[in-house]
Amino acid sequence: MNLYTRMIVVLTVVGLISGACLSVVGLLTRERIELNRQKEIEEAIGTVVPGTKSYSAAVEEKDLTVYKAKGEQDNLIGYAVYARGTGFQDIITLMFGTDPDLDKINSLTILEQKETPGLGAKITDGQAFLQFWEDREINQGLTLRKPAVDTKEELASSEVNTITGATISSQKVLDIVNFSLEQVRSLKNQGKLEGED
Amino acid sequence: MELLTILILSILVNNFVLYYFLGICPFLGVSKKLDSAVSMGLAVTFVMTITAVVSWLINHLILIPNDLGYLQIVSFILVIASLVQLVEMFIRKISPPLYQALGIYLPLITTNCAIMGLALLAALKNYNFITTVVFGFGSGIGFTLAIVLMAGIREQLELADVPEPLKGAGIALIVAGIMALAFTGFSGMIQ
Amino acid sequence: MPAKSIGQEYMKGLWAENPVFRQLLGMCPTLAVTNAVINGIAMGLATSFVLILSSLVVASIKKLIPNQVRIASYIVIIATFVTIADRFMAAFFPPISKALGPYVPLIVVNCIILGRQEAFASKNSVGRSLVDAMGMSTGFILALLLLSSIRELLGAGTFLGYQVLGEWFKPWIIMILPAGAFITLGILLGLALFIEMKTQRGRA
Repeated sequence: MNLYTRMIVVLTVVGLISGACLSVVGLLTRERIELNRQKEIEEAIGTVVPGTKSYSAAVEEKDLTVYKAKGEQDNLIGYAVYARGTGFQDIITLMFGTDPDLDKINSLTILEQKETPGLGAKITDGQAFLQFWEDREINQGLTLRKPAVDTKEELASSEVNTITGATISSQKVLDIVNFSLEQVRSLKNQGKLEGED
Repeated sequence: MELLTILILSILVNNFVLYYFLGICPFLGVSKKLDSAVSMGLAVTFVMTITAVVSWLINHLILIPNDLGYLQIVSFILVIASLVQLVEMFIRKISPPLYQALGIYLPLITTNCAIMGLALLAALKNYNFITTVVFGFGSGIGFTLAIVLMAGIREQLELADVPEPLKGAGIALIVAGIMALAFTGFSGMIQ
Repeated sequence: MPAKSIGQEYMKGLWAENPVFRQLLGMCPTLAVTNAVINGIAMGLATSFVLILSSLVVASIKKLIPNQVRIASYIVIIATFVTIADRFMAAFFPPISKALGPYVPLIVVNCIILGRQEAFASKNSVGRSLVDAMGMSTGFILALLLLSSIRELLGAGTFLGYQVLGEWFKPWIIMILPAGAFITLGILLGLALFIEMKTQRGRA
């Protein structure tokens, strides 16, 4: 066969074989990857809304997903809010859990962040940051306590603590949470949180 | 996220070269003279913006609707290779003077990790169409900024007394490191 | 020029033609993922996987591919293996896959791989290409290991996540940041050239 035909044949064959291999690999790994993702969300929901037996997504937008967490009798025991926003260095993804009336936050967990290691990255640390996010009252909106305090007792119930040397990352996390809370509240008022059950 | 935010993010805070480490080969290779640096930067910005558009289209019109996510790498690289080829031919025909200025750098851009990196990052960040285009354009400008700054410094370095082993790539990297340090100061700019 | 022995074919990848320190290839991943030793190793292994298999395939079918479409074919072959590596990691090692982020797919434009296909695998036997790929891979992994060890040790006081340097050591955060990567690599490159120059002079 002449050169031109050969070029086309070779490229097509290479392409086909590649496509076939990739389809096989794609199928084999697809389930596992999806499973990993689910597991991550599930674990996070379980952490921020303790006692969750099952959950369903009520609202799914690009940077915000609200999950309804349900207990033993399939009753609503809280919401788990998954939110994405800009941090100091890159994007921060987090999840926080609230009670069904959106009166308080149970706790917060950071899913993805690329903040400065050793400083901003401490937002994932329980001791340095996350413990101060437990049982916060959110009716009046949360505020950041600066300069940082040493113990939880020193914080007002609607305050969260800064990380010394990482004020901006701490503030960014707060901004993401406050912003999402606003959206969740308005969604609730519009009755959009009823979703699937 | 506002477009202006994305623009500033991609040019300064998440600078393609100094934060994402993409495009190092041309960054080191073409930054010796100021005018070639500018040309390379412009060529890259041009290709990046087009790539942003095309990769978004492929991802959202073909791959995602048909659950073909795993074909992303192969389709992106093939598209980029053909795109660069087409762009080169197009520029040659439409504007010979532009080709004179940019042309030789275009083939170098195919294996430039910056372009593939842009396509992958844009897909990862999952922006909408307009935002993706702004991201592509901004990243290109950021690359141009970094490479032009580097060229300016290197032209001065030619006259300095650099120790023998560090000449060339060694000192270039150290300079890049200092630049990266300076750019770190831009973090947290975005409200 | 006398043909290299198999041993020499392998060893050249470690020093004389080390892809990072001598050929100045593959710098993007070298700088990007060396903030922790485990990341460097994972990236090194993934790249080796792609390099070795691609070289094997290219060397096997080199006679069948017309010259004009060789780059395109190499790219498709490399991209296939990269996708396999990327998917495999996402499925079975999610935390590492997340840490390496977009840099695994970027292996496809790692100049080391395309470079070896063009310079070697397309012109040599399957056996030699395999050895060459293994040598280059080893050299690359060593470079990553070196850089990431320095960065993790000085930047966090740990090695592979284990605390090595005690409380007395205040980590140099800059090492984990991009700036540290550039500066460390620059110094290492200088060191490599320095050693090379000294040994040349010794022989001359």
